[in-house]
Formats: sequence, C-alpha cells, structure tokens
Amino acid sequence: MMTTVVLAAMLGGVWLAATYRENGSQAILLPDRVMTLFPDPKPLTAFAFTDHENRVFDLSRLKGKWSFLFFGYTHCPDICPTTLATLARAHESIAKSTAGAKDVQFVFISVDPNRDTAGKLGQYVTYFDTSFLGVTGDDAQLGKLAAQLGAAYQLAVTPGVENYPVYHTAAVFLVDPRARYHAVFAPPLDAEGISRRFEVLRELEGPKAT
Amino acid sequence: MRWRHAAFAGLISALTAIAAAAEEAGISVRDAWVRETPPGMAMTAGYMVLQNKTSRPQVFVAARSSGFETVMIHRTIAKEGMTGMEHAPQIELLPNASLLFAPGGYHLMLLNPKRVLRAGDRVDITLEFRGGLALPVAYEVRK
Repeated sequence: MMTTVVLAAMLGGVWLAATYRENGSQAILLPDRVMTLFPDPKPLTAFAFTDHENRVFDLSRLKGKWSFLFFGYTHCPDICPTTLATLARAHESIAKSTAGAKDVQFVFISVDPNRDTAGKLGQYVTYFDTSFLGVTGDDAQLGKLAAQLGAAYQLAVTPGVENYPVYHTAAVFLVDPRARYHAVFAPPLDAEGISRRFEVLRELEGPKAT
Repeated sequence: MRWRHAAFAGLISALTAIAAAAEEAGISVRDAWVRETPPGMAMTAGYMVLQNKTSRPQVFVAARSSGFETVMIHRTIAKEGMTGMEHAPQIELLPNASLLFAPGGYHLMLLNPKRVLRAGDRVDITLEFRGGLALPVAYEVRK
C-alpha cells in the first residue's frame, strides 16, 4: 500500500479511496477521484477566527478532533447550501458508525465577514446541522489558513451592490486531530463518498493521528 | 372601471394563450424544485429539467415570479480553481434536448422571497422563451 501512496504522490496527486473490510480490521486504500490523501500531512500554523458564538477559533480548536472545513458565504444560493446539506448527511452517517462522531467537527468558514456576522452565521450553519460551526475572520486571517490548504477566494465587493459576486474553493478539507492538513474531498461531493472514506481513514490512522 | 376589467381579462386570456402555446410548442419542465430558505436568508435557488421536444432550437431568456423580488438565470462556474456564479443572459435549448438545472450548475437564482419558503410549499415561476412563449411552472419547495 505504501508503494501506491508514494507512487501516486510522485504523480502529483494522491488519490486514495477507501475500501473497508469489517473483519480482521484490514483496510485498503485505493486510488480514486473523491478523496486526495496526503501521505505526509502538513501541520497547520497559527490563524485566528471568531466562531458564531463569538469565541476565538484558532489552531487550538482544530486539535483533538477531525475537522471538515468548507469555505463559503451565506449569500450563496447554490453551492454552499448544497455542500452543507451534503456534509450534514455525511455527519449523520459518521455518527451512526461504530466509532461515532464525537471526535469530528464541521466548520463553515465564511470568506465574507462583511455580511456574515456571528449571528447570521450561527442561524445559517445550525439550520443544516445543529452541531455545525460557523467561523470567519478578516482577510489576513482567512488568507493565512486558505494559503495552507491551497484554498482560494475572491470577493468582488461593489459599493451599493447588495449581492456582489464571491468566488471560493468548493472542496472540503480534512484536518486531523493533530491539526495537520490530512486530506481533501473534491467536488462534486456526495455524503456517502465522504463518510465511507473518512471512516476508513480514521480507522487506519487510529491513535497515530491523535 | 369596466374597461380595466376588460383589459385585465384580455391580458389574462392572452397570457393563458401564450402559456398554452409553450406547452403546445413542446417545451416542458419536470422535477421542478426550489431549495427551502435557511433562516434569515433572502435568497435560494430553483432547479428542474427543461425539455425542448420541438424540432427547433428554443431560447430560454428569462424567468419571473410574483413570489420573489428578482429571478435570474444563473450558472455556477469554475474559475481559477474557485467556484462562483455568473448570470446566463440566455440559454439555447437544442431541438429534442433536455437541459439540467441542478446544484453546482445552471439554476434559477431567486432573490428576496416575499414569504419564508418551507419544504412542501409551492412556488410559481414563469419561464420565458424567445418569441414570446411563456411557460408557468409549479416548483415544490424541498429541504
């Protein structure tokens, strides 16, 4: 398996999908297009956001849990609600797995702090799943985390225009309990695809990742 | 006031005729749904399968609804590794072809609904085609 990982890494993108064998705790990861897994996860460095309950959301909040991160904004009628609904379903299936979802969090990172106040973010994310967190920060802080994940965003703020265009990476980033950038799920996303791969990855990583 | 009523009745029958013409022309919609609005949000999106069963191309140019302040034809696009939306001024439907309006692609951008939309509600939107054809469509609100 390591050969596959290294080879795929050398080819530029590591695509590993998960096939899981229940008995014998044997799991195999095979190349696929849904999840890109990094064989040597990169530890993230400091950033500081505020969550929808006005608490500091910084690097320490990514430790001790697997975190699914998604960049977006609430004035987004198509891709953001679609992704959050998908993640809510993924969360539901992870919660039903043997290992449960106690060590998992889902974080919606708004790249539009002008319009997305804590109150609005809270109302928005908890509509999809009461456990979801909404966070945001200023451009410098957003940039710090985005750059480490290879995420991008762009706001075409126009004075007087209520619905200005926002561009953002639509992938879902997975950070492990040691706050390392561990994997990324590429769109189009589906709940089953995410939860099944995550469950295998978590099983494989086991105590290593925590 | 009588002339106003007459004019109104005239308008209604003209609209009905146009709608009927669109049906007859063989443009139809199935699987029409609108996403429920998350609390506090003044926008959502509408999806459908738009079918052109005629032997001529049809051009979808606009959509309107009394249930929203603005309805626009939008498309989610990829740009430099990012996702965004752009206004699609018109979409040509090839003869005997279907066009999918689905999450992550074409959608009706619905701004400022006049009321909160809950799953199970119905929303009426009229689709307009070049040449004056209009097709009223009932959308089901889904979560």
